[in-house]
This record gives sequence, C-alpha cells and structure tokens, in this order.
Amino acid sequence: MTPRDMTTAPSSRRRPSLSFRRPRTATVSAIPTPPRVGLEHDTWDGLSLVDSGDCMDEHVLEDVSHFPEPAQRRRAAKSFSSLRHPVDGLRALSRRLSVTMRTKSSRAFNIPHQNDHKLGTYNANSSHEFASSASTLQGFPISLPIPGNGLEPPVLPDGMYSGAAARAAAAAQNEMVRKMEYIKLNNQDSESGIGIDLQDRSEFSDLEPGHVRLDPMTSFPSEIIAQVLSYLDPESLMNSELVSRDWREQASSKHVWRHVFRRCYAQRRLADSRPQKHLAVGLGKSTFQQDWKKLYLVRRALDRRWKDGKAAAIYLQGHTDSVYCVQFDEDKIITGSRDRTIRVWDAHYPWPCRKIIGPPPGDVNNTGPVHDPEQQSSGRSPFLTIRPPPTRSAEIVDLSARSHDYHSASILCLQFDDEIMVTGSSDYSCIVWDIKNDYRPIHRLEGHTAGVLDVCFDERYIVSCSKDHAICVWDRRTGVLVKKLLGHRGPVNAVQLRGDLIVSASGDGVAKLWNVTSGLCVKEFTSKDRGLACVEFSHDGRTVLTGGNDQMIYQFDANTGELVKEIEGHSGLVRSLHLDTDNQRIVSGSYDMSVKVFDSQSGELSTDFPGWTTSWMLSVKSDYRRIVATSQDSRAVIMDFGYGIDGIDLLEG
Amino acid sequence: MADTSNQELTFTSSDGKNLQVPRDVAERSLLIKNMLDDLGDATEAIPIPNVTENVLTKVLEWCTHHRNDPPTTGDEDDSRRKTTDIEEWDQKFMQVDQEMLFEIILAANYLDIKPLLDIGCKTVANMIKGKSPEEIRKTFNIQNDFTPEEEDQIRRENEWAEE
Repeated sequence: MTPRDMTTAPSSRRRPSLSFRRPRTATVSAIPTPPRVGLEHDTWDGLSLVDSGDCMDEHVLEDVSHFPEPAQRRRAAKSFSSLRHPVDGLRALSRRLSVTMRTKSSRAFNIPHQNDHKLGTYNANSSHEFASSASTLQGFPISLPIPGNGLEPPVLPDGMYSGAAARAAAAAQNEMVRKMEYIKLNNQDSESGIGIDLQDRSEFSDLEPGHVRLDPMTSFPSEIIAQVLSYLDPESLMNSELVSRDWREQASSKHVWRHVFRRCYAQRRLADSRPQKHLAVGLGKSTFQQDWKKLYLVRRALDRRWKDGKAAAIYLQGHTDSVYCVQFDEDKIITGSRDRTIRVWDAHYPWPCRKIIGPPPGDVNNTGPVHDPEQQSSGRSPFLTIRPPPTRSAEIVDLSARSHDYHSASILCLQFDDEIMVTGSSDYSCIVWDIKNDYRPIHRLEGHTAGVLDVCFDERYIVSCSKDHAICVWDRRTGVLVKKLLGHRGPVNAVQLRGDLIVSASGDGVAKLWNVTSGLCVKEFTSKDRGLACVEFSHDGRTVLTGGNDQMIYQFDANTGELVKEIEGHSGLVRSLHLDTDNQRIVSGSYDMSVKVFDSQSGELSTDFPGWTTSWMLSVKSDYRRIVATSQDSRAVIMDFGYGIDGIDLLEG
Repeated sequence: MADTSNQELTFTSSDGKNLQVPRDVAERSLLIKNMLDDLGDATEAIPIPNVTENVLTKVLEWCTHHRNDPPTTGDEDDSRRKTTDIEEWDQKFMQVDQEMLFEIILAANYLDIKPLLDIGCKTVANMIKGKSPEEIRKTFNIQNDFTPEEEDQIRRENEWAEE
C-alpha cells in the first residue's frame, strides 16, 4: 500500500481554495544536468540584518557578555583615591598627563608635512585642486562611489585603497565633514574655533599646513582609543589597521570589533519588535573568545552571496508527495506533506532525516531531476547541487505510534518554537506536539469543519484558519477553543498573529485584520482581482503583505489600511511569502515554479531563482543564510548562500 | 542639606587662571561632584591642574549648555556606543582644531564627563570614517611604519573569505 493510496478523503486530495490543475511533475527518466557555475552579478544594496528570531535570539542580543575592560578604565577613576588630598593628587596627575600631551604636541609640530609636499598640494584654499591632484597622483581613475546610508558604509567602487573610501565619505557626508574640526585657522588661536565662517573651510583642509595634527594612538590612553574605534564601521576599522603598527594593535582589539560588528548587524533589530518566528539571526555566539572580526568577514562574504544570488541547492528527499509547509532553525528543518507525514531533518551536513511523524511510509527512490534546467536559463541556478541519499524510513519512524497519535490526512501547515510544534491537517484538526519530548502529541485541537490551511501561535494563543471560512483561536496551554472569528466569505488560506492583532487572507480576495480580544474585524485589505493565498505581518505589526492569484505581492499599511506598494515579478499565483525585516528581504514562492527575493524597502526584484524544483513552490522561509522552499514535486530544497564559505558556522547563535 | 545649586565655585587652571563656576555646572564633572560629595563645601579654589584655561573654558561652556541634562547613571557602556549621532549643538561645539579637540577629550576623560567624552570620541571617529589608510595617515600626520610585506599580510587577512 503506497502512501498515496492511503489518502482516503477525496476532499483532501486537493489543496484547493486556490486549486488549479497540477502541473507536470518530474519524470523519473530525465537526466540531471550538471550544475552550472559562474553567476552574473545583480544589484542589491539592501543588505545587512537578519530576521528577528525568538526570545532566545533576543536574549543573545541584549545579554552581551562583556570583554574585560582595560584594567585602567579611566584615569579620572584611578585618581579618586588621591582626591582625599585633592591638590596634591591632582597636581601629581597633571604632571603625568600634561607632560604626555606636550611631548606629543611638540613632536607633531616639528614634523613638516612631507607628504603634502610630495603631493604638490601644499597650497592653501585648494580644495578643488586636491580632489583632482590627489586622485591622479595615486594613479587610480575616479569611479563614482555610492554614498552610505545611515549607519552603512558607503558602497565603494573597486580599489578600496585607492582613496575612494574617503571620496565616498566626502560625497556622503559633506555636511559632517564641514562641521569637523578641520578648520583653517587663519593664524587665530585655537579658542576661536567657534564663529569661523564655515564656507571658508575646505573639506580637504587636512592636507593643508598651518595647524597641528596629532596621532590619537599616542595622544590618548588605550581606553579612549578603543572608544573612538568602536564608533567606526567595519570597513573603516579595517582601514585603520593598515595605518601603522600602533593603529594595527588597537584596531584589531576584540573588544572594539565586538562593538563594531554588533552595531553593524544587530542594531537594526527594532526595539519594539516581538519576534514570533524561530529564526536564526547570524550574529554568532557571545563568548569571551569570539573572533568578532572574523564574524564580520564571514558575514560580509555571505551578504555578497545573497547579492550575487550565489547559492548551493541541497535537496531533501524522502516525502512521497507534495511538501506543503516548512519551518526551520539552525538545528533542524521540519516539513509537512500531503503524504501525511511530518519529517524532521538535520539542518547540517549531511542533512539526514532524523524523524518521521505519521504513518510508516514506504521508501521511494528519488532519482528524478531535482530542478528544471529549462526554467533556470532565465535566472540564478545553483552553483552546486547536492542530493543527500534518503534515509531509510524504517530507521526513523516510530512504529509504536498509534493512528490517533498523528494526522490521518495531508499536513498543510506547521509552526514550532522551543517548546511546541503545531500542525494543521486536511483531517480538520490541529495537533500540538511536545518538541522537547521527542514530538509527543499533547492536544488535538478539534473545531474546524474542513481542512486546517494555516496555523500560527504566540505565547498565549494558537490561531488556525480553515477551508470552512473560519478562524479559531485556541488557548496555547490548555488547547481550549477561545474564540471563532467569522466573516470571510471563502476559505481562509493564511493567518498571522502579532500581539493583539491577527491578519488573515482568504480565497475570496480579502485580507482581514482582527482584534483578538474583541474578536472583531478592524480592517480589510482587498486584492485587485482574485483570491489570496498567503499573508505576512511585519514584526512591528505595521506592514501587511499579501500574495495570491493576482500574481503580485501587495503591501499594505496595517494602521491606515492603505495599499502602499504592488510588487510585481511573478507569472503565477504567489503561494508563499516570507518577510525578513532585518535583512530587508521579501522571499516569495510561486506556482510559476520560481522563488524570488525582493528588496523590502524598494520592492525591487533582487534575485530570481526559477526552476529550482520541478513543480509549484508551496512554502518558502528564509533566515540570514538560506532559503528553504518546498515543492509539489515532493522535495524541499535548501538554497544555501553560506555553503562553502570558510567559517560560516561561526555565525550560528 | 542646604541648597547648593547656586553656589559659585572657583577653579584654578593649570596655567594659574581662576574661573568662577556655578556648582551645578561644575557637577557635570563626576570627578568634581564626587570630590564635593566627599569634602562638603569647597571654600577655596579647586585646582584643575591637568587643564589649561582655554580648554577649561571650552569644557565649562559645554557643561553650562548641558547643565540640565539628566545625569548619566552607572556604566551604560553598550548603549552609549550604540549610536554615532551627535546632536547639532555639540557638532558645532566640536568645530575646533585637532589639538583643542584632543585636549577636550582628555579633559573630559580626566574630569569624568562621560557625555562629553562620548561626543569627542565620536568626532574623532568621524575623522577616520570612510578614509583609506593613507588618508588617515595624512589626517593625523602618521608615518607608515609597516614593511610592504606586513601591509600585504594585513590586506590578505582583511580580504579573507572573499571570493
């Protein structure tokens, strides 16, 4: 008896609401094509952060273990003991400190600006001349840099050390540079820094003679230097390492790199975000030994891979029918299928299937093609294809489980956190599983009168939606049905929960925003034409994304209900959406057999991955490193942008 | 305890000049504040031997402008370093030559005025940001003491994991 034969209820044969004819699936005889290497570049500037994860990730962020501060934290502090005798104490201190200052100052005064002479810019008020002479002298053509945005460093053209960095900063930060201390003093004393006409100053006046320039590394105690350097962006800090041996020593400090790495990648996580999903953030572990600079280098390499669309394809083979749903963390990937089983896969090499929850399935040989070469000609194909051998199901299925312990029809949806997993099925029920106790079933949630199409939960509620047009709200602890939200005039295909708000999307073409306490629908977001298949709610609860049969992604303002953007690109029903706020990515999977990545700020298509499987895309999720997509062709594919990057595992939390 | 906020203190700079300072302005310096807490009223001039008159004047100008800011509490090292923004008044305040800027930073460090120290450090960081190593050297008049081999080595290290 094959699993397909075991599908009993005819109604569960379709995953309808949005049903179409099933497209052709893979034929076993087709010959796999060799993976192609060498990818063209794409433009994608919206790099950096990762989706907010769950409470654990939050913990990682907030509870940072500190590197030991330098023993002498602050000179003032050290001098406190001497304050009992303030005069003597202060005087003694002053001797030390001012002597240091004087020495440095005079040394700096005595060194004529040789470099300036060589450069031929020993010419006051010559900002324009500098711009041209410096660049020609350095022998590099000037290519236009793209100014940085906010905390991000500028995007630099090739030749990082050609001086482009400074010109980029100048372009982006004219304002700031003008306000800096590079004041041409016109022989006034140093107190007259205020009130000088800003317009007179050259942005590049640091090349001009006539005022003192001091090396911070010899002027300041190391704790001040560390503080200065910790305000830099990573690329500037790396340039600082190349200045001199003193700078190298200070700029390679782990303490400094920790600040710089975390400001670069951890800060954009919104303070008010309430992470719902179990997603990895890629910030590494906070340990005393952590090599933060290395983390940055790995992270930079990874972000370039995303930008270039360069990913390996790892195919998880074992399901015997459509894989409807997926969620993953750094440890595991969990998929649910029309073959009525839930599979737990190891998220690491060699990606074995650890466990099958459901009726004991037969083994199949997935020898057919895993991707569609014809489709892939138009977009990014994997640079490497990996097909781990299927694990023999007899070794990983729990034969002692009874049929009432698992679903009797397709697994349509799932979500998990650290404690529980909730699955929804065509058997009209949800099951809550104990994730810490080998996925033992805890409750079965019964109340729907048709298949459960989507499910989500937070620390209070489990919310499920169904083909029966209803949304059910359950108590997470007790499994008791708390509320039923009625109002949709079609099957409710997708649901998301943020705080007191639920957003749901229906095959009738309407997405609704509900208040979970009152049970009332507070807002509606309507598609232009046809049914909706999926919905995403941003972590801050301000943005709602919907996708469906109109083949586009709608972005709504959750507060005003206003349609903000229509994101086009797909040529088939948009079946699944995933929003990664921290990295500004919208990942979508479609019946056009492609997975696409959009910039969540601009709505521009960043990368197109057509034909990575041989049939409809049914579910997509992403984290800082990978996309996992599931297909009607019975496979899940890990699109791993980190594959093969030396040290990529360091980013794991 | 008597209200001491209107009390005038006298600071003596390292070059022997006396400056009159309202107590609440002076207490922006944790060094001074802690000293006054320990010693009670200061009836005689307080020597600030590390800081010359012109620098001290500048620092006190900052303290006067920020006299009503909420006091900094404890060591908020991490949150203090999260943002590199400088508010407009402070940006203007920091428009001084490099020597004065460094003196202000050292004085803020010595007098334990954390917010001023932060602004000073951010200002120096802004002088480094976005510059090539050679441009940083020019900005601060630094000699490159690396051998070409050492420089190559660091560059290779920084390009690590690139493809």
